[in-house]
Amino acid sequence: MESTPERPTVAQASAALTDAEASRASLAHRIATPSWFFTSMGAAIATQIATTAVGLGDSAPWVLAAGLAIFAAVAGAQLARFRRLNGVWLGGFASRVVLGTGMLASASYAIALGAAIWAAYDGRWWLVTLCSVGGGAAYALSGRKWISTYREQPAVHWRGESATWLAMLTLAAVAGLALLLMNG
Amino acid sequence: MADLDAHVVAPARLKLLTTLTAVSEAEFSTVRDTLQVSDSVLSKHVAALEHVDYVKRRKGVHRGRRTTWISLTPRGRAALSVHVAALRDLIDGVG
Repeated sequence: MESTPERPTVAQASAALTDAEASRASLAHRIATPSWFFTSMGAAIATQIATTAVGLGDSAPWVLAAGLAIFAAVAGAQLARFRRLNGVWLGGFASRVVLGTGMLASASYAIALGAAIWAAYDGRWWLVTLCSVGGGAAYALSGRKWISTYREQPAVHWRGESATWLAMLTLAAVAGLALLLMNG
Repeated sequence: MADLDAHVVAPARLKLLTTLTAVSEAEFSTVRDTLQVSDSVLSKHVAALEHVDYVKRRKGVHRGRRTTWISLTPRGRAALSVHVAALRDLIDGVG
C-alpha cells in the first residue's frame, strides 16, 4: 500500500517532468526502421498494384492473389524485423506505415490502384507500370513522413487503428476486388 | 486542481510510465536501457505498478530468448494524465 505522496517542490516537479519527457523522446528518436525497409515496402506495394491491375485486366485471379501474398509476406517480415531491431511494438507504425492507413498512403494508393486498373482494362501496360511505381513511391514517402511526425509527438501518434477497423477495411477491399473480378 | 498519484510520485515511476506512452509495448531490456536503471530497480517499479493495474507484463520472446514485454494499461494512462496535470498545476503555482 502506498503512503500519501510527499508533495514535491516546484523545482522537483519540474525536473521530474523534464526528465520523464526526455526519456520518452529518447526512446522515440532511437526507434529506427530496418535496412531497406522503405524500398521493400514501396516495391511490395508497386507489385501489389501492378498484379491487381493485371489480374483484373486479364481476368487472372491468381496473379492478383500472388501480389497480395507478396505484400503480406514482405509486410510480415518487415514488422518482425522492426520489433526485433527496436524491442518495441508500435501500433501506429504497423497500421499507418506498413498497412498504409495514413492519409497520404491511403489516398495515393487508392488513386494509383484506380488508375492502374483503368489502364489495364484499356491495355495500356506502360501506364500500369507508371501508376504502380508511383503508388509504391508515395506509400514509402508517406511512411517516412509518419516516422518524422511520430518522433515529434510520440505520445500522440503511437496508437494504430483498431483491429476491428482494419478487419472492416480488409473485408471491404476483398469484397471490392471480388466484385471487379466477377464483372471483369 | 488535480491530485498527485501516490503510485506515480516517485520520479522513476513517472519516467517509466511516460516512456511507455510512446509505444504499444516495450521489451524489458529496452525499457531498462532507456531509463538507465538496473534490472532489479525496473522489476520493482513494474511489479508495484502492475499491482495497481497501471502496467501489464507478458512473457514473450525477443532476439530468440524468453523475455518480458511491458505495456501501459488504460488505467495507467489515465492515472499518468491526472498526475502530470497535478504536477503542471504545481509548477504553474495553481496548487
